[in-house]
Amino acid sequence: MIKRLLAVDGVLVVCQFRDDGAFIEGFGMLDEEQMASLAMFAHDYKRIVQGNADQLSMFTQMKGWTPPGGWVVHGQSMSVCSIANLVCLVNPSEASITEVMQEMKELSTW
Amino acid sequence: MPNLDQLMTLPGALAAFEFSDKGELLNSKLSEGSNLNETALDLLSHVCVANTSIATMQARGWENMTGDQGFYPVQGFSMIGLDWTTVTHGQFGVVMENDKADLEAAYSALA
Amino acid sequence: MSILSELADLPGVICAGEYSYRGDRFSYKGHMNDEQARQASIMCRATTMSVHMQSGILSNFCDQCGLFPNKGWIVKGPQFTVCVMANVFCFINESEGSLNQVFEIMRERLFEIPDDLV
Repeated sequence: MIKRLLAVDGVLVVCQFRDDGAFIEGFGMLDEEQMASLAMFAHDYKRIVQGNADQLSMFTQMKGWTPPGGWVVHGQSMSVCSIANLVCLVNPSEASITEVMQEMKELSTW
Repeated sequence: MPNLDQLMTLPGALAAFEFSDKGELLNSKLSEGSNLNETALDLLSHVCVANTSIATMQARGWENMTGDQGFYPVQGFSMIGLDWTTVTHGQFGVVMENDKADLEAAYSALA
Repeated sequence: MSILSELADLPGVICAGEYSYRGDRFSYKGHMNDEQARQASIMCRATTMSVHMQSGILSNFCDQCGLFPNKGWIVKGPQFTVCVMANVFCFINESEGSLNQVFEIMRERLFEIPDDLV
């Protein structure tokens, strides 16, 4: 099912991971070991974003930060974005991050 | 300002390093036989800058919430590993063996 | 004697606390109220998660990296220092206590705790 994300412009890799960070499946231009590393990174990063959102919520006393919906990190020529237990490696010059995020959000509810 | 040679005289020092405010490694010294390298120290510098920023946010938030002063500005971050500990402050840091490390001396040397 | 009591009795220690890695429980001894201890637990847990990941990444770039696995971290402010090992935190007033003493006791008591629950 998650393979259909590769049909979105600019998506190079998509991976799914378990709640403990273990790699479930992935598709795209990385080998399986690299995909497992990407999955573990996404899992760890998700927890960090959750921790930071908790703190932002605590310090600002504002609702709406938690639970975080996902995250995006932009590099010079590559972006990584994640929602729920899915993560995508994206070429931002060819992709609409909004479209990728929307597609991931839809798939994460299946 | 600390200098790397001075930092290397701290007990158990394995490496001393200087980094930019963005975390890029500028200079380093390694002890003989250390299995650290410039790539690892560059990454470690980024780790220290990132965590100092997070700690600064926490210190600000904590002081605002509780009214307790004395956490801000952050004057150092340390990462404790199984065998080594790194101590950083400002744009300098030192990695020491846990069995010999004197944290208070390290913070003083970095101040 | 529990590690929290032992730490809380040391000179200069304002509060020692423990949080679950899942983030659903905390306990503490010392001069904080429930809400402050809860907030301290949230902050310390968040940094522990980050540092755990960073230590793992670092280990890819140096053989037998002694910073891996991560065992804790310290943040020093002008008056107060926070020392965290495993899932235990300790707030220290450095003008009245010794970071080295706290570090040594935490190291003796907490270094062998496995990190598989992080």
